[in-house]
Amino acid sequence: MSALGGGGGALRNASTALAISSTESFAGTPSCHTKRVRRPPGSFYWLHAVTPAPPLDTTTLKQLVFVSDYAESMIPPEIGPPKSSSQSPRSPSGAPFLSISVTDPVKLGNGVQAYISYRVITKTNLPEFQGPEKIVIRRYSDFVWLHDKLADKYKGIFIPPLPEKSAVEKFRFSAEFIEMRRQALDIFVNRIASHPELKQSEDLKTFLEEDEEAMERIRSFETGIFKKPADLLQMFKDVQTKVTDVVLGKEKPVEETDPEYEKLKHYIFGLEDHLTETQKQAVRLVKRHRELGQSLSEFGKAIKLLGACEGDSLGKVFAELGSKSELLSIKLQKEAHNLLMNFEEPLKDYVRCVQSIKDSFSHRANAFRLHCELTETTKLKEINLEKLNLMRSDKTREAEIEYRELKAESEEATRRFETIIKRMNEEIVRFQEQKTAEMGLAFHLFAKGQAKLANDIADAWRSVLTKIEAYSLSSGHD
Amino acid sequence: MIPPQEIGPPKSSSQSPRSPSGAPFLSISVTDPVKLGNGVQAYISYRVITKTNLPEFQGPEKIVIRRYSDFVWLHDKLADKYKGIFIPPLPEKSAVEKFRFSAEFIEMRRQALDIFVNRIASHPELKQSEDLKTFLEEDEEAMERIRSFETGIFKKPADLLQMFKDVQTKVTDVVLGKEKPVEETDPEYEKLKHYIFGLEDHLTETQKQAVRLVKRHRELGQSLSEFGKAIKLLGACEGDSLGKVFAELGSKSELLSIKLQKEAHNLLMNFEEPLKDYVRCVQSIKDSFSHRANAFRLHCELTETTKLKEINLEKLNLMRSDKTREAEIEYRELKAESEEATRRFETIIKRMNEEIVRFQEQKTAEMGLAFHLFAKGQAKLANDIADAWRSVLTKIEAYSLSSGHD
Repeated sequence: MSALGGGGGALRNASTALAISSTESFAGTPSCHTKRVRRPPGSFYWLHAVTPAPPLDTTTLKQLVFVSDYAESMIPPEIGPPKSSSQSPRSPSGAPFLSISVTDPVKLGNGVQAYISYRVITKTNLPEFQGPEKIVIRRYSDFVWLHDKLADKYKGIFIPPLPEKSAVEKFRFSAEFIEMRRQALDIFVNRIASHPELKQSEDLKTFLEEDEEAMERIRSFETGIFKKPADLLQMFKDVQTKVTDVVLGKEKPVEETDPEYEKLKHYIFGLEDHLTETQKQAVRLVKRHRELGQSLSEFGKAIKLLGACEGDSLGKVFAELGSKSELLSIKLQKEAHNLLMNFEEPLKDYVRCVQSIKDSFSHRANAFRLHCELTETTKLKEINLEKLNLMRSDKTREAEIEYRELKAESEEATRRFETIIKRMNEEIVRFQEQKTAEMGLAFHLFAKGQAKLANDIADAWRSVLTKIEAYSLSSGHD
Repeated sequence: MIPPQEIGPPKSSSQSPRSPSGAPFLSISVTDPVKLGNGVQAYISYRVITKTNLPEFQGPEKIVIRRYSDFVWLHDKLADKYKGIFIPPLPEKSAVEKFRFSAEFIEMRRQALDIFVNRIASHPELKQSEDLKTFLEEDEEAMERIRSFETGIFKKPADLLQMFKDVQTKVTDVVLGKEKPVEETDPEYEKLKHYIFGLEDHLTETQKQAVRLVKRHRELGQSLSEFGKAIKLLGACEGDSLGKVFAELGSKSELLSIKLQKEAHNLLMNFEEPLKDYVRCVQSIKDSFSHRANAFRLHCELTETTKLKEINLEKLNLMRSDKTREAEIEYRELKAESEEATRRFETIIKRMNEEIVRFQEQKTAEMGLAFHLFAKGQAKLANDIADAWRSVLTKIEAYSLSSGHD
């Protein structure tokens, strides 16, 4: 993808790349049309986050992140006048913005204790933040802390997924892995910052602003005492089981029967299967490109040695063939890298997002069960209370207090369940728009990269053909 | 491969002959591989069709059935009788058992045998050999008898060489008292040997790389096919126009997979096989080096021995010994042998010099063609791939426009 070649000028190149077709341009980029784009929030993350630019440019690139109708009604968080920008802001100075970069991965510590730290740079003019710019150092477990907190507090919302926890030991500090993880973390935190509910969370502020010692204390403290969301779920499950066993006398868990919801679950499970398979195939495709490139390189070397045997013009033809082979080998390796970053990684990200949705399914199912059981229990307690009232028993007052408490719990459980439904409905709409747009883009880049590679290959061989034909003519072999 | 100049009007050809009718021609085809026999005895037989107007042949057309060992017989006979000539090489003797009857292997072998026999038929000296006529015309039972007979009694050329070597060793030990073998010191010949050995190394390496390239094309094609299937399933999840885009991407991937497999096959037949053939030809040249070296040694040693015998004879003459007559007879016999050995050596040199010129022209032309076809095939494949992806791009852009992403 020469359009996304790295180094300086990445910004210009990215803009040019976005002028792929008039359908994908948007306002705010220097050399593109200033057209409003009906892009859902979060699109183009991959295009821009992955452009290999020096840290200086990532902030400017965030400006390109997205433009959407969403931004009309909401605070467009990442549009704004970063200081070191070469382009003019979309909105006049003063409009609210929140722009975050995860940059500068640095290896700290030694041996098995070694880890990567990142610089998290927040630029904002929102009053709730400490100041216009804040830089903190964070490590992967800090991102995990933020994710888990949000997952616990905002059930029903599809929490942006984290990149995988661990990797094969020898790969853990490779340049490629570090860069892929950095990008994924950058995308993670920006998705949170652009989500209407999540971006208002206190935990996000803590993550972006606390100094490193405070962050470490918070993280360790919470890990110790604060039960993981999974543990909380387990507590709920235990309650449910008790209630179920006692009250309903059944083993079968209670489940929603909403046909629309069933359809959604069916779609998501199918999507996960197919995405996982496609991602697996994408990985293999990357590998095959690399292998073909490697073989072409060795082939080119062998041809050159052969050409050195022959002399004169035939030898030159061989040398030309050998050089072109080596050149194409490099192009193939580049395309393999391009496929990895711009196609296989987005697919992996899509799979993670789908798994985040499945987490919401679990939360919804648990909330539904709790709501059902508490509703049932409350009803029974109400009946019991009536009985006691009629009997004018001593236990009436006690039972009434218990009843009121249980009713409050039940109403709370119902409220939580309904919140989850409401959130999920909104989230599904966001997800559909965003992910299908991102997938469309990823496939566009895929086809484009492949077409360009094939073109370059065809050109290289045609130039060799020309030379071979010239040789044949000159040596009388026609 | 460039068919060597078997000019002639083959009857079932779609091209007009180069020379007018009546001009001498000899045209041979090796066709129709058929599996005969059972189990471990199974083998492939080929139809060998000879069309000619040369008077020394039985008739205008002759069809015989031959198997691989018949070709080997012909090769070994020629190698023995025409030392110094680069005998056209045979395809390899054996193959991995499970591959031995695969369509691809059979076709590659058939082509190689066809090229083999036509190269003989177009070589100015080899085409006049009686063994060629035997091969082309004898009925199958006669051919089998000849082949078995000769395999039994007729010592392989290697055995004959060994006999010569034994003679040489005896003579050397007795006469010269040295162990070091005698070698030519012709600088031009040294240059040639150096070139040929280097060529063999580089060709072998290139051929190995070509094999790997074929394999990589196949693997990429296979991966693209599975990728296409996965994309199609994914597209079936999404509905409407995005689903159609996915379906298009999936279909194109599968299409390109087929093209890649085809190109892999093309590379195998039109590039890797010619390279392998080139390696075999070079090994045939090395065989000639061996023959020349042996002939040179024999010539040197017999020349030396003859000289010594001549000196001895002179002595006996002066002494008026009884052994003079016997010695004179021995001397004359040895001198004849020596002259024969010298003559053979000089024949080899002469042939090799002619052969080298033929080889250079022919092989570099064939290599030029093979590389031409290689670059052409690769360029066409790349073009097809580029076209396929561009059509996908068009559809993706149309989708983006229609679904309001503008």
